[in-house]
Amino acid sequence: MQIRNFIAPGWIAGLAVGIFCATTTSLQAQTETPQTPQDTLTSAEEEDYSQYDNIGFAAEGAKRYCSPKIEGLSPAKLISIGYDYQMGYAMKADTFRRLGSAAPPMPDSARILTSNGMRFGCNIPVISRTDLVWQMGANYWEQRYKFEDPSALKNPMLTSLSENGLRTMGINTTLFKPLNDVKFLLFQGSADLSGDYQFGKFMPLKYTKYSAALIYGKRTSEKKQWGVGVARTYRVGELNYIPIIFYNSTDVANKWGTEILFPARAHVRRTINSRNMLFAGYELEGQSYRLWRSNDPTGFNLRNEDVEIRRGEIRLRAVYEFSLKDFIWMSIQAGYRINYRYDVDRLGNGKEIYRAFGLASDAPYVMVNQLTNPLYFNISLNLVSP
Amino acid sequence: MLLVLLAGVLTAFVQQNPESDRLMGVWEPSNGRARVKIEKIGAKYYGKFVWLKEPIDPATGQPKTDKNNPDPSMKNVPLKGYRMLKDFVYKGNNEWADGTIYDPLNGSTYSCTIKMTNANTLDIRGYIGVSALGRTDVWKRMVVK
Repeated sequence: MQIRNFIAPGWIAGLAVGIFCATTTSLQAQTETPQTPQDTLTSAEEEDYSQYDNIGFAAEGAKRYCSPKIEGLSPAKLISIGYDYQMGYAMKADTFRRLGSAAPPMPDSARILTSNGMRFGCNIPVISRTDLVWQMGANYWEQRYKFEDPSALKNPMLTSLSENGLRTMGINTTLFKPLNDVKFLLFQGSADLSGDYQFGKFMPLKYTKYSAALIYGKRTSEKKQWGVGVARTYRVGELNYIPIIFYNSTDVANKWGTEILFPARAHVRRTINSRNMLFAGYELEGQSYRLWRSNDPTGFNLRNEDVEIRRGEIRLRAVYEFSLKDFIWMSIQAGYRINYRYDVDRLGNGKEIYRAFGLASDAPYVMVNQLTNPLYFNISLNLVSP
Repeated sequence: MLLVLLAGVLTAFVQQNPESDRLMGVWEPSNGRARVKIEKIGAKYYGKFVWLKEPIDPATGQPKTDKNNPDPSMKNVPLKGYRMLKDFVYKGNNEWADGTIYDPLNGSTYSCTIKMTNANTLDIRGYIGVSALGRTDVWKRMVVK
């Protein structure tokens, strides 16, 4: 990386001064600053800074726009590579009711020793202007399940989890549109393909899940921004349309702050210094996973059942983020994973069920599964944004 | 005589580079929190803070210092007057490169290029390693009205 040290060692600076003074003596009269390109000025070169108080834009009609960030906010992650590890827990799988048959029930209970997987994400600025910021990103998450006795599993959902695990692969985009120096619009959208698929046996793209959020907000000071909006989300497993609240703040002393996108996540931030931060809070995590398995040794073809696991969980957690070196940050989190939902819906040809928490539909789940709640850990290396 | 000759050479040098010197002046980043004066020292361009929207640190009641600098010896240096743009060289085609930009909010220094999109607007791109991993800010020229 071409990262420069902005403070030259003393002997280099001295040499630079000497060479510079020797070659540009006459130029001194033309420049009000010394020839030493130091980081700060000496008293001899101080100038009357009050002359810069009452100046204006040279161009007529130039406008100021608010920034997408506030002071003290944790740095945005351009690239992230991580590993997520859940400790052991029990899963009690409901009877799997096969499509169009009165097959005998197949309830199953199993002990999962661990579920874990790699997580990769990137978010790259495409357009970065004063009046528009556009970023594109991609993500890949996997969750592998290690059962205590995989040979004893009878339920086809459990056997698929054991053999294939779950994956989410997707793309996302973020648009920040400042309206003036205070008001802004923020749009986030994502398209994810989630299921028990394997790379050699990909799922049709028609099962892609689309999520989006639109926020209208205000950046009321250098240390506070808030907003309200709506979201289409799968964060608790099934489709929902919900109101959202956005609130980031930093206190006067730059020690405490909040980073909130409610209800998706909310954290209190404790800033040790600009390169060491602690967080406490929660995140809702989840997705709807198409069961696409076709490798059951009994010949049972799960993909014909049109079913999806509605996985949603609450992660209560403490997070420590710090700079390892320059722009390489590490994030270490530990917490408690609380199962919110791990139920199964039958979605004919991928057609969604929208329940609106029971207000729009009372369609029953195909399976209502129960999970106990384990401790979890997550560690990631991140390249953070300027 | 020598001084006159040297002055003549320098005058000719400056006259040969009016295009590159268009970078000089006072500029305001998009957030409006600061104003930066870009000057020429030798053949390179440097920019220093000359105005801060909030010059006083509310935590201390004193003028803001570079308290996020990872170098402890720099933490008490006043931000006003601090050189946050360094070592820019004109490359032609309205572009200055090979420089760095310092962000006092996190104490980080980034590689940086400057593109003048018109006489009163700069695209300042700070990046990490490769230009794709960066962010562009638009600065506007400020003048006495």
